[in-house]
Amino acid sequence: MTIRILLVDDHPIVRQGLKTLLEGHSDWEVIGEASDGAEAVEKAKDLSPDVMVLDVTMPRMNGLDACRVLRRQYPALEILFVTQHDSPQMMREALEAGARGYVVKSNAARDLLAAVEAVSQHRVFTALHSRTVPELREE
Amino acid sequence: MKLRILLADDHEIVRRGLRALLEKHEGWEVCGEASDGREAVEKALQLNPDVIIVDVGMPNLNGLDTTRQLLQHDPHFKIIVLTITDSDQVIREALDAGARGFVLKSDAARDLVSAVEALQNKRMFFTPRVNDLVLAGFLEKGQTVSRNEAPKLPTLTAREREITQLLAEGNSSKEVASLLNLSTKTVETHRSNIMRKLSFHSIRDLVVYAIKNNLIQIELPPPPKTPAGPAAA
Repeated sequence: MTIRILLVDDHPIVRQGLKTLLEGHSDWEVIGEASDGAEAVEKAKDLSPDVMVLDVTMPRMNGLDACRVLRRQYPALEILFVTQHDSPQMMREALEAGARGYVVKSNAARDLLAAVEAVSQHRVFTALHSRTVPELREE
Repeated sequence: MKLRILLADDHEIVRRGLRALLEKHEGWEVCGEASDGREAVEKALQLNPDVIIVDVGMPNLNGLDTTRQLLQHDPHFKIIVLTITDSDQVIREALDAGARGFVLKSDAARDLVSAVEALQNKRMFFTPRVNDLVLAGFLEKGQTVSRNEAPKLPTLTAREREITQLLAEGNSSKEVASLLNLSTKTVETHRSNIMRKLSFHSIRDLVVYAIKNNLIQIELPPPPKTPAGPAAA
């Protein structure tokens, strides 16, 4: 069965990169794109995607707020964050908001396919970058 | 003959997006990719591309210092700086470093092809937003951006800036030495000089300095919860 995906990121170039990656998978279809959380909520209503790939930091409505709204309105929709924030706190907040997956943008090319696979089967997928927030070293 | 483009951005997903965009253009090819500034310099010297697209916020060596190093090696390199930051300071530094194009990442899908075309035709390209900022700065301050203006990091050498970035990214002196093929002692000497020149007493001061001067970039989390629901849309 085809998995229908909605891409949400405020940078078109990032959406393009995500799209080329996802469309390499024969059973997946990118059915639409949105550039902020509010547009994501509108498009979810019109397009009924199975999976939404969502950025955190966006204008108008950020990804976390959009995720909370979407989870209330569309309980069957699975949400996967792809974000710049390589932070356990942010990951926790995303999962608390109702996301099923969390991938760091710098590793998206490596992790995204496995993450979409997992969340589309209603499994949790989280991966932070191996290099976490740098420690301040006093030598 | 095809126009050969080198892409330098630390996010593979962004490189994929840029490649897809650029390769739609007949007669252009992406001849190589680099994931940080140091790799960009190496690949540019190997591949001798016609145009180099450089992200500002890259690890190990940021895009502005990459631009400076590239043009030191070969002043004929044509470089487009790609950035998420539209601050006046970054624009000035990019121009000062010798970039011939400046495109905001958020506008890349719209402007990057025009920027490459401009450089291909021996012109410069700045996005309308950047032109507005430069003009606003000109009107406000009664002066325009000049390549002769004092750089924002006047007291640090190129090597010191490189070391400052690496230290601010969390590397130890030993790790910096290994990355730059220097002895730990040499790095320690540079480190002492940097701290002395900037009158800093802790690495924390250096991190703040590196962020303020765009040697490293951080993305801030969104502000705490806003009222959710259709009304917030």
